[in-house]
Amino acid sequence: MTSELFAVFLGSSIRLATPLLLAGIGEMVSERAGVLNMSIEGMMLMSAFAAAVGSWATGDPFVGLLFGIVSVLPVALLQAFLSNTLRANQIVSGIGINILVLGATTLAYREIFGARSRAEIPGLAKVKPPLLGDIPVIGPAVFEQVWLLYAGIALIVIVALVLRFTSVGLAIHAAGAEPKAVDKSGLSIARIRYACVVFAGFMASLAGAFLSIGDIHTFTEGMTRGAGYLAIASVIFGKWRIGGTSLACLLFGAATALQFQLPALGIGVPNALLIMLPYLLALLAVGGLVGRQMAPPSLGEPYRR
Amino acid sequence: MTVVNQRGSLPGSPRLSLRPSLVVPVLAVAFAAVVGLSLIAMIGVSVPKAVAAFVDGTIGSPFALAASLNRSSVFALVGFGFVLANRANLTNVGGEGQIAVGGIAATAVALYGHVSGSPLGLAFVLPTLAAVIAGGLWGGLAAVLKVKSGTNEVISTLLLSFIGVWLLYWSVQSPALLRKPMTSSATLPESLEIPDATQLPLLTGDYSFPVHVGLPLTLILAIVVSVILSRTTLGFRLRAVGLNPVAARRAGISYAKTVVFALSTAGALGGLAGALMLLGEQYTLKDGFSSGYGFDGLVAGLLSRGSIPGVIAASLLFGFMRSGGINMEMVAAVPTALVVVIQGLIVITLAGASLFIEKLERR
Repeated sequence: MTSELFAVFLGSSIRLATPLLLAGIGEMVSERAGVLNMSIEGMMLMSAFAAAVGSWATGDPFVGLLFGIVSVLPVALLQAFLSNTLRANQIVSGIGINILVLGATTLAYREIFGARSRAEIPGLAKVKPPLLGDIPVIGPAVFEQVWLLYAGIALIVIVALVLRFTSVGLAIHAAGAEPKAVDKSGLSIARIRYACVVFAGFMASLAGAFLSIGDIHTFTEGMTRGAGYLAIASVIFGKWRIGGTSLACLLFGAATALQFQLPALGIGVPNALLIMLPYLLALLAVGGLVGRQMAPPSLGEPYRR
Repeated sequence: MTVVNQRGSLPGSPRLSLRPSLVVPVLAVAFAAVVGLSLIAMIGVSVPKAVAAFVDGTIGSPFALAASLNRSSVFALVGFGFVLANRANLTNVGGEGQIAVGGIAATAVALYGHVSGSPLGLAFVLPTLAAVIAGGLWGGLAAVLKVKSGTNEVISTLLLSFIGVWLLYWSVQSPALLRKPMTSSATLPESLEIPDATQLPLLTGDYSFPVHVGLPLTLILAIVVSVILSRTTLGFRLRAVGLNPVAARRAGISYAKTVVFALSTAGALGGLAGALMLLGEQYTLKDGFSSGYGFDGLVAGLLSRGSIPGVIAASLLFGFMRSGGINMEMVAAVPTALVVVIQGLIVITLAGASLFIEKLERR
């Protein structure tokens, strides 16, 4: 592999990992607090759609991003309401939300875009960070990325600091580990979990918007294609830690990027095998082949006083 | 089947008519249908025209009726598997992948297993069995992971679903696997058509009403699964493990064996569903073969709240809804996505109402 090709590979790995990374970190926070948020997929799809519509209608991709973020709020509140207040099965409610969003966005897409399908939609701008972006070859290929990626990295750093050094982080961790104790200490489990699910929705909305107006500048029906489930897998792979989850997302991104790179290099690996690779890796991870699993003890269990 | 209900309490007198577990799903479906109709009106299509197209697509012709029934059998099989595993408190969301590997196995044996000359219907029985075994192994894999390293079966069956679906894509893309011989670059990525002898016999032998033997088979399996769940020690073990694994172990019930039985049976039923789809209707294996049927079957299982007649009712509902939805798109220009919206609403409403139903049932 020449250095140029390698730089392109690195750049596209990062680009393809970004939606997983954003959604994965949100999911991790939600799972730390005890809510297995299966609706990440639906949240991403919702935002991908709303961001595309917003950007197309106003011509301003930033407004599109805001559309995306706002559109996910009701979805996240619905998930939080079902899994906390109504104590519904979190898997069932998540899958239900995913089905609903898939149907609703497809329906609305046909209604709004109809014949104008595949219209080019104004997308978020790319930025070249100073210094890093000036490196020859690597600079443009690796570091020239959509600004949302850099904003996302900054957000993830903040999340890491909050989880590690603040009382909020401690409360989130405790809500997933010992909800009873948290409840007795006077904090509201419901409030913590609602907030974490909404936060997961916010991150998923960034991820979804990245897909439609950050990466390919168009919306296609059901365009998330399981990315949300992959984000969930990355949390498990990463053992519910920021570093591990991020690494897993990069790995999944690289596996996806290989699909486009290997044929270019004349290496005949079946395409399907490469698409399957992230799921296989995730399965090996959840199968305990990369070490012991450390799921939050009360993950997936609605709390009742 | 009414010996002991799922929550382990004795059912009351046969006040079947107003049980919340029956009334609430009906209300949920009605609610979703009203939303669906309003959406049709909102997108500017005449509601009577859309409804007429919907009905036409479900029972308008013998062919439509048969297609709906065949599809319902597929959903029901996946749903039975879901209910059986759920008795042991296991959630199998892997139907989609189990259908896919079932389809692959059935195609492989039908095309390359030298079975078409076999007597006594073995020509279609052997590919079906291959599908059942493949699905069973696919489900069993999740069980082994669960027993050996405590892997949550929701995650593993879901991941196995994706892997199965891509495995199918691979099989039809690669000439070394099941893709038909490439005569030109325009050769479609699909398998050859399976030989006539390996296709499932039609009940009437008439292609204008193509209901195949899958329908009676599904009804027989409905009875078998009901009996297993309510009248055998196997069913008792499933429930014991589901209610309290520790107590079940103390009572001498093997947790590992029960989990493996539950998940591989669910997988086998998914594989069988794949066989029915391939050998009974599609005849060639293509990308996108499983077409979301695994998830529809899962939803049917969820809606049934653990009852086999419930699975049948939900499967019929979804089978007919899909057919009607397809016709609605063709005739009245209402996107099939509308049916997906209705389905999503039904699942969410019922998930949200489950606490409510349990409270009412306990009274």
